[in-house]
Amino acid sequence: MSSKVLAFINFKGGVGKTAMAVNIGATLAKLHEKRVLIVDLDPQSNSSVWLMRPDRWQEHVAGGRKSTFQIYDDALNGRNRFNFDEALVRGVVTWTGFTDLPRLHLLPATVELLRIEDKIHEIRSSAVYQLLDAALGSYFKQYDYVLLDCPPNLYSTTKGAIFSADSCVIPYVPDYLSLSGFQVLAEEIVEMREMFAPHLRGRRKPNIGAVIISHYRQSGNVYRLAINELELSIARLQRSGVLSSQTAILEPYIRHCVRVAESTNEHLPVILYAPGSIGAQDYCDLTQRFLNHFESKK
Amino acid sequence: MNYTDLAATLLHVGERLTKHAGKIEGETMGRAARLLSNQLLRFEELLEGYIASRKSGELLLETVLQSPAAKRHLTMGILKQGLRELAGKRLKADELRAAKREFVERIHDAGNQAEAVEYLKEALSSAIHLESGGADKESLQHEFVSLGQLADDEFAKEIEKKSIGELRRLAGTNGIRFTEKTTKQRLSALIRRYAQRAVFNISAAA
Repeated sequence: MSSKVLAFINFKGGVGKTAMAVNIGATLAKLHEKRVLIVDLDPQSNSSVWLMRPDRWQEHVAGGRKSTFQIYDDALNGRNRFNFDEALVRGVVTWTGFTDLPRLHLLPATVELLRIEDKIHEIRSSAVYQLLDAALGSYFKQYDYVLLDCPPNLYSTTKGAIFSADSCVIPYVPDYLSLSGFQVLAEEIVEMREMFAPHLRGRRKPNIGAVIISHYRQSGNVYRLAINELELSIARLQRSGVLSSQTAILEPYIRHCVRVAESTNEHLPVILYAPGSIGAQDYCDLTQRFLNHFESKK
Repeated sequence: MNYTDLAATLLHVGERLTKHAGKIEGETMGRAARLLSNQLLRFEELLEGYIASRKSGELLLETVLQSPAAKRHLTMGILKQGLRELAGKRLKADELRAAKREFVERIHDAGNQAEAVEYLKEALSSAIHLESGGADKESLQHEFVSLGQLADDEFAKEIEKKSIGELRRLAGTNGIRFTEKTTKQRLSALIRRYAQRAVFNISAAA
């Protein structure tokens, strides 16, 4: 089976990009025996510190060399210091002190990324979008799924992730602010298609493969109405050719769950920390749908 | 520490022990060696069991049976049907926990753990409750948007033609909650309000 590279993007913050990358990744590895790589591209390093204890993370990324920062630092300074095997974190360390989820690998980020984002953006050539793919593309083949956890913006790092990805996954909080942002995002991705076209060399054009609802609450009308408006909007964008007919809202919706928030403090995905919680159940069901959706695509 | 580090430590200790085995003496070393030996035997037994169950697919089968998805969706019916299809046996247990154990044992005897995993994944996936759905969802959403674009008198005419059942289906499909007591008049007002909002929101954001 060939690898599927998926970019988790949304320029709106707090919509659940990291939670989805971490928990879908962990569930794919644990229950479906998939080889999964999570690439943390966000200077906030949230997926890194979710899956690693802060002291271990700080020790690992000290100086930035064993992190995604090094990929960009190399490009800016004409160096070749990034070493994939050294930077890779294999599995998740549990309370036993031993690793679990051996099929889940992480390429951590560091806050240093924040320092160089401006400089990356100053690189005017199209090469800037291809940096990530050039550095990591050959390693992606070792995995069934590569999940790119992007920062909450549409700057160069995120564009590089979209360039590398087969498809984009949009985490979405059901409200109007997300709806307006989603439509802007969809239009931006169409523009990227034009921009990337000469460099894609037979690869898939950037597209939105799936939208995943987070922070869902069943009470009242509010969320169901907002999701209905999202569905109507997607249908409209599909009719106008902005979105493909394969763009789908994946269900079930991820409900708000305190155990998921708590699992960040334990530095474990929710499926390991609280397997009986509604958060773990939602992610299990969602991951099954996620697999059905992305593996049925050509 | 990971298991590779542990293996390296054991190898290192093994090499040192091999080199110096003939010279080691004393009660302290003897007691520590006995403790380690007992623990190593237990660990070896566990490890061999783990490797065997992984190889046969039984580990994954148990993982799926204990997964959050199974906790939510697994029923006696799924296990009964699975056992009949996969092993040609009837499930004897009448309680879920015992049924899971029996399922694993019978599947183990039949040697088709991989098929059982696939069967369970499929069954659990089919049992996932979806919020949205309905064969006529698309047309009801389309109608909702059309109603939102009508002037007040046109809207009233369209609503007049519909039964309360049709209005309930239209409202329910488009995310509007109501109760058995919600009147046609109230339901029409809700549809009017939210259909107009949908039209405004999806076109303003586009």
